[in-house]
Amino acid sequence: MQDRNGINRRTFVQATATTAAALAVTDLFGLGKALAGTGPAEGIGYFSRFGVTEKLIKDTLGAALSRGGDYADVFFQHRILNNMTLEDGAVNRASANVALGVGVRVVKGDQTGYGFTEDLNAEAMKRAALTAASIAQGGSKNAPKRLNVTGKDNRYPVKVKWEDVRPTQKLTILNGLNEKTFAADKRVQKVNINFMDGSGVILIADSNGRIVEDFQPMTSVYLSVVAEQNGRKENNTVNVAARSDIEFYNPARLDKLVSDGIAKTMILFDAVQPPAGEMPVVLGAGSSGILLHEAIGHGMEADFNRKNVSIYSDKIGKPIAKDFVNIIDEGTQVAARGAINVDDEGNNVGKTMLVEKGILSTYLHDSISAKHYGVKPTGNGRRQGYEYAPMPRMRSTYMLPGPHKRDEIIASVKKGIYCDHFSNGQVNIGAGDFTFFVKNGFLIEDGKLTTPIKDVNIIGNGPKVLELVDMVADDLKIDEGGWTCGKDGQSVPVSQGMPTVRVASITVGGRSEAKKG
Amino acid sequence: MSKTTNTTNDMLAIAQSCIEIAKKKGAKEASAGAYRVRNVDFQWRDGKPEKVEESTTRGVQLAVFADERYAVVSTSDLRPDALETFIGDAVVLAKSLAKDPYRALPDPELYKGQSSVDLALEDPKYDTVTPEIRQKIAKEAETAARAVKGSEAILSVTSNVSDTLTERFLVNSNGFSGKRRDTTFFVSAQVSVKDKDGRRPEDYSYAGARHFSEVPSGAIIGREAGERTLARLGAKKGDSAAMAMVIDNRASGRMVSFLMGPLSGASIQQKRSFLEGKLGQQVFGEKVTIIDDPFIPRAFGSRHFDNEGIAAKKRPVVEAGVLESYYIDSYYGKKLGVTPTSGSASNLSWKLGDKNRDALVAGIQDGILVTGFLGGNSNGLTGDFSLGVQGFRIRGGKLAEPVGEMNISGNHLEFWKTLVAVGNDPFPYSAMRTPTLVFDGVSFAGV
Repeated sequence: MQDRNGINRRTFVQATATTAAALAVTDLFGLGKALAGTGPAEGIGYFSRFGVTEKLIKDTLGAALSRGGDYADVFFQHRILNNMTLEDGAVNRASANVALGVGVRVVKGDQTGYGFTEDLNAEAMKRAALTAASIAQGGSKNAPKRLNVTGKDNRYPVKVKWEDVRPTQKLTILNGLNEKTFAADKRVQKVNINFMDGSGVILIADSNGRIVEDFQPMTSVYLSVVAEQNGRKENNTVNVAARSDIEFYNPARLDKLVSDGIAKTMILFDAVQPPAGEMPVVLGAGSSGILLHEAIGHGMEADFNRKNVSIYSDKIGKPIAKDFVNIIDEGTQVAARGAINVDDEGNNVGKTMLVEKGILSTYLHDSISAKHYGVKPTGNGRRQGYEYAPMPRMRSTYMLPGPHKRDEIIASVKKGIYCDHFSNGQVNIGAGDFTFFVKNGFLIEDGKLTTPIKDVNIIGNGPKVLELVDMVADDLKIDEGGWTCGKDGQSVPVSQGMPTVRVASITVGGRSEAKKG
Repeated sequence: MSKTTNTTNDMLAIAQSCIEIAKKKGAKEASAGAYRVRNVDFQWRDGKPEKVEESTTRGVQLAVFADERYAVVSTSDLRPDALETFIGDAVVLAKSLAKDPYRALPDPELYKGQSSVDLALEDPKYDTVTPEIRQKIAKEAETAARAVKGSEAILSVTSNVSDTLTERFLVNSNGFSGKRRDTTFFVSAQVSVKDKDGRRPEDYSYAGARHFSEVPSGAIIGREAGERTLARLGAKKGDSAAMAMVIDNRASGRMVSFLMGPLSGASIQQKRSFLEGKLGQQVFGEKVTIIDDPFIPRAFGSRHFDNEGIAAKKRPVVEAGVLESYYIDSYYGKKLGVTPTSGSASNLSWKLGDKNRDALVAGIQDGILVTGFLGGNSNGLTGDFSLGVQGFRIRGGKLAEPVGEMNISGNHLEFWKTLVAVGNDPFPYSAMRTPTLVFDGVSFAGV
């Protein structure tokens, strides 16, 4: 049993790490005639096969508002997730998960009532609606007269739907990765590979009369390598993910996955844990965006701020970093794991400036916080699935390029560390303390990368660390890794990116001689 | 409103029919788990309800074994036609994969000898907890938090009251059928305070029980959350130093959780465990004795059978620091050529010391009491770990200033041998039931 109430309020991000497994045969567990690659669609298309009608939705929203809520919405979801796993040289396990259900939410001011059901019939949906309605205590309000759609951009380049992919195509990828990994280095002892693909359709309808359906694909591959040298073993894991189709796995990307997996594992035989204490840290371009996710992203989610419990609650409009620091959260990067066509409240998704020229600019809003602050929603209302009410969440978080060069940044450090591969991070929203865990990096000595480092936690305080970002390079890279963000018990896929950046000083949790206290 | 909590066997019927359909579709064997969960979560914040969530959810998971091949599938779509197609797809899916000679249902011998001890995991009075009672507890928690000395620094108090009724059936086609019903009740409070330097430290308290009557009052939880958080005011990064570390019983579960992966059969067989080859060896300090005990009445990890249907047994994991057993399920048992124990932990029962946290702190001249971890990770293969910590400096046997933004690093194979004391205070709100733990010479990174 989980320590649910203690743990579920934590905010963190971690790399995809699937332990169980499996897949699809042509049209196995299929979504049937799901729209694919066309962007959000108006009205009830896909869900009509489950008997969902405008009348059913209006009746449900009517029940939801029967006790005086300000606003109500319904969120239908049908999703198929497939996993295939290779272990000990064979793809011999597969799994599939089908989720079908509808959630009903009622909002009264800042208050939320929520109910859901897996039975998409009128009676069950009415019961869920009345459960949600209990947050309000007053007279009935009217349901919408008509339903309209907004937003039509498509950010998921899917030519071939996952259900039309033959199993042999996936088996070929898995077996090919396995063979190439073993062939790449004699020290390889074990290879584990997981292939995930998912297709889902959501329908959101609300009491303002909005209705929208969206088809949402996802795929990821993770490769884990165990190697042995002179009786010592080391292990590392690499992964790639996208809202895309099987063409994402082109030969160049798969070869790079193998070479990364080998390189990041083998270098560990020469790696040490770095010295402990405060020192300059250079973050490599790409997945170092984990720093932004933890140091500022979560703290800028507007639910924490409307509750007055974030360290950023009173800092909008104030300078918090050097003027070449610009931080963005957006959902519009085509095929990115963190991309979305519409958020899970049906709102349009764009770019949100968290920090503009060093000034704290805009929170990440869902519709509740947007109303609270009297601003437009930013398209950050997201949820794990129909079982959950939405809340402000990140999408793809990154820093814009700055005025410096990577080589110049590394050369500027006399004694410090360089980090470029991470597994997870976490933050305390109010105190602002955050961490991220470094799997690979190097010592920097006299301006040069020297001894490799491994397995070290870095801990800092969000606003203090942003102040100490004193060099930003021009080499922004959005990471393709399978990052999953956890908050209040809900997981959502996200992306992150970063140019090479120097933090003048931060605490590195190394192992070497500590000063005697 | 609470309703429909009487025994319902419709999920058993669904599990049984999944097995029949799977066999009809060409599976040689199958295992079906079906569940129904009723969950209510009430959240109260700063004088009014913040969120009310209530649901009854259900679904099935089905493992199929066909032509020496294996797949496992799950669904919440229980419409009969959809289920029939779904199971047919599962069999086709399994048959598209490579053969796996190790994959099979557990040996029926392992089902035998199930204990009949009454675990009392279901509160017969579950139905009597009403929305009014939940709200009263949540309000009490806020009131108590705001009554703590220094509470003018409080920015916000959020309290949660939740309860769950779970009903599960497991049916294996080679002769196992099991049922389990249990309840849980949790109360929690989270408090945020404003510090002079603009930081807004937060901390929380929570408690839970299988039976409602055993849950501490909202007032106790709220007061503890208020006290814990207010004590964080003025927290600073401490100096880097090697010194003693006391981990309180709530936080110590995190340290112990890093052992569970490396203890698993999958990690051992896949050569991803620093505990591989260590059976019978002194891996931990002599004061560490841990029994996996599935039979503690009303405990969160108690069970008569595990999630494969294997009859639960009490067994030592660590005795006086010596590693005695792994967590091995039937699949990895076959791959490793050993008898399975169980692939998952039940309750951890610790050999306790005779002092509580405060008495243990009193015995430390120079150290840190860790009350919470922040992020970090542990390498299950090498045993290296590096974790963010917060807590309080200990000087001369007394708690001194709060510290945070610090880090500890080490290797489990060395670290656990530096354990010098175990508390008498197992944390009852988690199946790991960890007591306060004291380690010597831990390397802290700070200023």
